Amino acid sequence: MIDNKKIIIAKDVVKTFPNGVKALKKVSLEVNYGEVVVIIGPSGSGKSTLLRTLNFLEPINDGEIIIDGISLTDPKTNINKVREEVGMVFQQFNLFPHMTALENITIAPITVRKVSKSEAEKTAIQLLEKVGLADRATSYPSQLSGGQQQRVAIARALAMKPKIMLFDEPTSALDPEMIGEVLEVMKTLAREGMTMVVVTHEMGFAREVADRVIFMDEGEIIETNTPLELFRNPDNERLQKFLSQIL
Amino acid sequence: MQDKKYNLFWNIIFVLIIISICFGVYYASKRVDYIWRWERLWQYFVYEDVTNIRTPLAGNVEITDNKIKVIPMQGAEPYVVKTFEKAHVNDGDLVFEGDVLASSSKIKAGPLLTGLYMTIKISLVAIFFAIIIGVLTGIARISKNPALKKLAVTYIELIRGTPLLVQIFIFYFFIGTVLHLNRFTAGTAALAVFTGAYIAEIVRAGIQSIPKGQMEASRSLGMNYFQAMRYIIMPQALKRTLPPMAGQFISLIKDSSLVSVISITDLTKSGREIVTSTFSPFEVWFSVALLYLILTSSLSFLVQLLERRLSESD
Repeated sequence: MIDNKKIIIAKDVVKTFPNGVKALKKVSLEVNYGEVVVIIGPSGSGKSTLLRTLNFLEPINDGEIIIDGISLTDPKTNINKVREEVGMVFQQFNLFPHMTALENITIAPITVRKVSKSEAEKTAIQLLEKVGLADRATSYPSQLSGGQQQRVAIARALAMKPKIMLFDEPTSALDPEMIGEVLEVMKTLAREGMTMVVVTHEMGFAREVADRVIFMDEGEIIETNTPLELFRNPDNERLQKFLSQIL
Repeated sequence: MQDKKYNLFWNIIFVLIIISICFGVYYASKRVDYIWRWERLWQYFVYEDVTNIRTPLAGNVEITDNKIKVIPMQGAEPYVVKTFEKAHVNDGDLVFEGDVLASSSKIKAGPLLTGLYMTIKISLVAIFFAIIIGVLTGIARISKNPALKKLAVTYIELIRGTPLLVQIFIFYFFIGTVLHLNRFTAGTAALAVFTGAYIAEIVRAGIQSIPKGQMEASRSLGMNYFQAMRYIIMPQALKRTLPPMAGQFISLIKDSSLVSVISITDLTKSGREIVTSTFSPFEVWFSVALLYLILTSSLSFLVQLLERRLSESD
């Protein structure tokens, strides 16, 4: 039943918020190992909600989600264990303001993975080098620019050595001149073969990096295609309208 | 900048007002024929405790190498005093039973200082337990578990809705009798439970002021609820709650004066006892107030230092 090639399987996922809003109406999604999937769509289309259900930050009302062979909807599953394998990057960065960049990155490996402090710091410094912030290890988030904060947040998620990275509009809260530096880090990750699901409005990124682009509207997946096809011949009316507004 | 020009003027006005209030107090006390006797007060801070050494038998005194010997006439065993500070007899004196041979004195803390010590002790113990009660209740207050949440709300409402004085009586006369608590335990427990309710509300507000994204980020990294609370939420929340907490601790120090009603000799009760023996209420109560002020202001100074150290990441 479990397909070895699929790292994410979401089947008929239904999410209704307590206020009655139907955010997801029977959404199904499958992601292969090493695949980069970009989800686009107008605001309120449920794309962020879908992403957040994939590590169960948003519990679902119906359907099934299987991450790397483990069902999140199974009550016996330890969600924390699954979350260790799924990194997440938020729109608002959500760095821990009372910790330095280095401590932000080491706290989870030390407390959750029980890695020794020295080893965690070694990995953290490598990751900071990777995102181009090796000199800011002792800075507090308040001393970093938005782009730098988001890059630290990516390093923080990577420190857990996740199998999947989820990006929830990672550049939407950034000033335009800082978007590039964050996208550059994400492109590097994609090239290294990381499985990524990205909610974004950056069509350039989708076109360049994505293996597949998914268009969502009103809680449903309207169209799935390679970026080339999807942007060249959008055959859905709503997608055409969305693309004409955004491009 | 217009305002700055008059700063000196208004500062002088401030000093003049303070001086006139002090003078007013002095004048008022003159009108009621009050005689200020500050000099009497010092003995209640520290005093010299003199112990007299008396001879149990009659005889002749002989002082040799810092020893006083009383040699009885009938040739019985002599009485020897080895340690003393001041001799009251000379070599060769004739002494009778009960006469003072020598004295030694010790500097001892007077009732104002022992009372102050008791107030500090009660306050520190109560603050310690109030923090524990407050943090646990504050977390329970926002728990999703209805039993925990309602227990916390009931406790907070009960404590905040009744006077501390009544609570102290209940703790001492009812709970204290049932559980065989002594005065100190009952009084301190009442203060800790009372302050705990207020700290719980402060902690709740502090936790709720932390953006939801902090918890989400922690959980998305695989931390469980307690790890997220311990490493991410509480450190930030406690930092924000430091100023209102300090206010609550200062209240506790002041409220600790109420435990004097169950006969704990704290600063306030010492003050009352001294007034009855000196008939100098003005001096005593001014001194007691000053001692409380020193306690509370040094506490707020400490909290300010702590705040400055924690603000490094801002």
